[in-house]
Amino acid sequence: MIRFVFLCAFLLSLSAKAQEFQTQTGKAIFLSKASLSEFTGESKTLKGLIDLDKNLVDFFLDLNTLKTGITLRDKHMRENYLETEKYPFAEFTGKFETLPSLSSTSEKVTVRGKFKIHGVEREIVVVGALKKLPNGSLELKANWTVALNDYKIEIPKLVFYELAAEQQVSIEAILNPKK
Amino acid sequence: MKKLILAFAFLGMSHPIFAQLERKLENENLPVDLIFHAPRHINLLTVEPLEKKSMHFAIMHTFGTLDGGVENLWGLDNGANIQFSFEFGLSEKLSLGFARSSRDKFYNLYGRYHLLEQTQNDKVPLSVSVAGGMGAVSNPYRFLGPLERPDFSDRLAYSAQVMLARRFSPKISFQLSPMMSYFVNPLEIYQIEGDQNLYLALGMSGKIKVTERSSLTLQYIPNLNSDLRSNFGIGWDVEAGGHVFQMYFVTSQALNEQYLLAGGNGVPGEEFRLGFNVNRIFAMGQKKRSY
Repeated sequence: MIRFVFLCAFLLSLSAKAQEFQTQTGKAIFLSKASLSEFTGESKTLKGLIDLDKNLVDFFLDLNTLKTGITLRDKHMRENYLETEKYPFAEFTGKFETLPSLSSTSEKVTVRGKFKIHGVEREIVVVGALKKLPNGSLELKANWTVALNDYKIEIPKLVFYELAAEQQVSIEAILNPKK
Repeated sequence: MKKLILAFAFLGMSHPIFAQLERKLENENLPVDLIFHAPRHINLLTVEPLEKKSMHFAIMHTFGTLDGGVENLWGLDNGANIQFSFEFGLSEKLSLGFARSSRDKFYNLYGRYHLLEQTQNDKVPLSVSVAGGMGAVSNPYRFLGPLERPDFSDRLAYSAQVMLARRFSPKISFQLSPMMSYFVNPLEIYQIEGDQNLYLALGMSGKIKVTERSSLTLQYIPNLNSDLRSNFGIGWDVEAGGHVFQMYFVTSQALNEQYLLAGGNGVPGEEFRLGFNVNRIFAMGQKKRSY
C-alpha cells in the first residue's frame, strides 16, 4: 500500500512537472497598411499556454486592451469593427503539426488550429519561431494575416483608404514553465 | 490510507484533461464607449471626454430660416452664425476650451469636468459631467457714441450646466442637462430676445443609432423661467473616420450656451434653420499620427 502511495505521489510530481508553459504578458500587434494611412495597434496582455504533453497551444487576447495611439480610433475600432461588447476576445486553440524539440536555437514550428474573432471561427495554420531560453522559458514569435472580410468585419466605403482589408497580425511571448 | 489514495486521485482529477485558459477580461468595469458621437451634439455639449493631450476642434454653422425658399437657398444666403471651438484635454477628466461665435462676436472660455463614466456592466449606470463657461461680447458697436457703448462688465455672460447621460441600449442614448446662463446686462443691442439676467433651462439630447456609423439626433431645450420659445432640433450624425459630421434643423441660430438660453427661438417646422457641425479630434504630443 505504501508503495502505491509513493507511486501516486511520483505520478503527481510528474504531472506537476508537466511540459506546460504560460504567459500573461505576451505582445500582440496588428498592422493596418492602407493606401493613405498606416497604423498599428498593440496590446501587452496576450495570455497563452503551450502544453507539450497534451499538444495544446491556447492563446487569447482581451481586444479591449488594444491601443492604436488615438483614443477616438480605439473607440471606433471597438464599437464599429471588433464589436468588443459582444465579442471581447480573439482566441486561438490548436496543435503543433510536429512537436518542437525545444532547442536553444530558433526552431520553425507550424501550428494548426481555430482562430476566433468577431464571433467567427476559422481554421488557420500559423508558422512561428520557438526557442528555449537559458532560464527554461520558451520564446515564441509568430505572424499571420487576418482578412477582415473572412471574419465579417466590414469596412465602410467612406474609410476604405484608411483601413487595410488585410491586417498583419504578429505575436511575441515569453512563456514560463508552470510550477 | 484509503482516504489518502482518494485524496491523491482527487488531486489528479482536479486538472481537467483538456485545459484551455479561462477567458477573462482585463478590466471588468469597462466604460461605455461613445454614448454620443462627439463632445458636441447639435448645439449642446455632451459627456464625451477628451483624452489627455488631445484637442477637439468643432466648426459649427447655423443659417437663415428655411422659409425664404429657393430664392434664398433655404436660408443659406442669409448669413450664417459660425462658431469655432478648440477644446484641450488636460487630463482624462478635465478639458478647457475657447470658442468664438460670429453672432455679436462672442468669445467664450469654457471647461468640462467628468465626474462619472457609465460602465458596460452597469455598476455605474450614468455618466455625469459638469460644464461652465464665461464669455464676452466683443462687437465694438462703432455706430454708437463712445459713451453709449457697453462697458466690458456689461458684455459678460456666464453659463453652467450638469450633464447626466446614459446609453440605454447600444442604439439609444439620452442626456439631461439642467442649464443656466447669466447675462450681467442683457442689453437690447445684443442679438438676444430675453431681457432678464438669469435663464434656466433643461437641455435634452437624444441619439438613436440607425447604422453602425450614423444616428438620428434630437435636441429639446425647454426654458424654465422665461416666456421665450423653447429650442428644438433634429438632425443626423455621421462618423467618417476621424470626423464626425452633424447636420440638423434647429429653431435658433445660437451656438453657445449663453445665447441658446437667452437668444429666443422660432416656431418648430416654420422657422427651422439648417445647421452643420464638423467635429475632429487631434492627438497631440505623440509621433505624427493621422486619423
